[in-house]
Amino acid sequence: MTPSSTVDLKLASDGAANDEKAIGIWKDSFNRLLKNKMAVVSIVVVLIMFFFAIFGPSLTPYDFLTQDLSIRSQPPSAEHWLGTDYLGRDVLSRVIYGARTATLVSFLVVVLSSLIGVVVGSISGYFGGKVDFFLMWFTDLNMAFPNLVLGVVLAVSLRPPAGRWMEQMYLSTLNPVFRQSSLLDLALVVVVITLVAWCPYARLLRSQVMAVRNYNYVLAARALGLPTFTIITKYIIPNAIGPVIVQMSAGMGSAMLTESALSFIGIGINPPIPTWGNMINEGLRQWTSDPHLLLAPALVLGLMTVAFSFLGDGLNDALNPRQWKG
Amino acid sequence: MGEILLDVNDLKTRFRSRGSLVHAVNGVSFHLKRGETLGVVGESGCGKTVTMLSLLRLLPPAAQVESGSALFEEQDLLKMNFRQIQKVRGGKIGLIFQDPMTSFNPVLTIGDQVGESLIYHRHASKEVALERAIELLRLVGISDPEQRVKDYPHQFSGGMRQRAMIAMALACEPELIIADEPTTALDVTIQAQIVELVKDLRDRLGVAIIWITHDLSLVAGLADRIMVMYAGTVVEEATAEELFDDPRHPYTLGLLSALPAFQAEKNVRRLASIPGSPPDLRKQPTSCPFFPRCSFALERCQSELPALQPVAAGKNSSHRMACFVDTRERSAAA
Repeated sequence: MTPSSTVDLKLASDGAANDEKAIGIWKDSFNRLLKNKMAVVSIVVVLIMFFFAIFGPSLTPYDFLTQDLSIRSQPPSAEHWLGTDYLGRDVLSRVIYGARTATLVSFLVVVLSSLIGVVVGSISGYFGGKVDFFLMWFTDLNMAFPNLVLGVVLAVSLRPPAGRWMEQMYLSTLNPVFRQSSLLDLALVVVVITLVAWCPYARLLRSQVMAVRNYNYVLAARALGLPTFTIITKYIIPNAIGPVIVQMSAGMGSAMLTESALSFIGIGINPPIPTWGNMINEGLRQWTSDPHLLLAPALVLGLMTVAFSFLGDGLNDALNPRQWKG
Repeated sequence: MGEILLDVNDLKTRFRSRGSLVHAVNGVSFHLKRGETLGVVGESGCGKTVTMLSLLRLLPPAAQVESGSALFEEQDLLKMNFRQIQKVRGGKIGLIFQDPMTSFNPVLTIGDQVGESLIYHRHASKEVALERAIELLRLVGISDPEQRVKDYPHQFSGGMRQRAMIAMALACEPELIIADEPTTALDVTIQAQIVELVKDLRDRLGVAIIWITHDLSLVAGLADRIMVMYAGTVVEEATAEELFDDPRHPYTLGLLSALPAFQAEKNVRRLASIPGSPPDLRKQPTSCPFFPRCSFALERCQSELPALQPVAAGKNSSHRMACFVDTRERSAAA
């Protein structure tokens, strides 16, 4: 090779490096996510569901509460695509409204529980020692109970004091908001599921933080005298958060399941607000004669849970390029 | 030059390791004047890095400073509270690390990271910090800094990252830069460029430098004084000229004879090496730590620990070493 050609090569490679646009790791991961077919299908399913959850009330063919006892328990037809239930209410409208409840609850649960998990996990992982011991002891204690059992206990024991508080607030402010039992139901369900759901996030982030805190750039940041809060929020959490995002997607599905389970056994969101859980409960009573009443909410719930878990899988592959094949 | 900037006295740092104590730093003392460059030389594991991390209290949790003092601008770094030491880190003392490839946060831009410390030490706004980051990158010789501040670390080459790290350490105009083997991870041509850059910056900014390395030839042209460390102790300390012209400690002699020579007539011999390996630091040393590998060893070396003392009592020099043997006399006799 002649000297001039080495120079040319060097210039060419420098040029290439400059042309390369600044692709952040998030954009890079997003591109990888779009290459995963199952993940893309899941995203579409989830987006459709979000669409119905947000615009549902103006899209439903009938009101979800309107009863028509003359058309009780009808099979699917042209007027009622998914039939009617035992009070003659339109099942499609109720499933769509149930999507609203499920999405709202699971979204709030995932945001709140991952927030708690990130705070607990990063403090535990970064500081270690006694702080870590105490926080993880508490987390393990929480995780030792089966989710649903703990949820039932919390839901039952939190309801009376919360109800009394709402009553007091109403008496002192006379604001009708505090008289809405459906609001109390919703808040309770979100709080209860959050209280049982934050632990995996905390454990996950803790283990990630413990690895990241030993990286050179964290030492470099400490050597620059940056405040601990900045180091945790700008140097550690962004580099440790990947698995938590995966867990958040799977968490949406499992929060929906837990919400349905609580409603199913009657201590979650109560009728007349439709949720997939209480629809399944009602459908179960007559499922031999009118299986569509059970199948419609159950299938939608199943579809959503599967979609969120595939999306989680896709995110996992997209955010962990080292595991990614192809 | 003149006023003493950093005065370290009898620094001892221990590591707890599976039930035993590792005496990583054993009574290290040295001082540094303003604007002075001190080269710290020694093989891997001799306590160079641990000494410097002890000063800034950046040691891993298993390590602890047992005793000693480190006066920086007349304040003891080892007795400062967290807030005070945080102000010193990055503000008064900048640190440059060995591995530029892993010393940047991959999710922040170079500009963010270079300017970051200004926001905390100087209460600069984001805009001011970014402007200063551009200035700093230009200062360390990165072309087109206005565009480059927006780049992420992976878009920088190793040499450029090391330049950026130097810029990061210089951001708050520190009095002292501690460079921990800053060129070890770089290839030889880039090494030379970085050394030239640091020399140039030192002359322009008047910053004091502690340059840690295992390569004596690297600091030869850079340092005013050189300190040779072995097994957690300082074995010899002298001005650069004295150390190369008149080395005294057997370990220094060994290091110097292990350097490749560039003069043609010396090139015929094979490179010398020092036989043996460094001592186990789990035992509190009671004899000269270099004794088992030393070709000059006396019986006394086995039972007593030599202290760091001036080489010649009458001579007005800073040349100190920790050895009982007058190696010049012995070599001449042999």
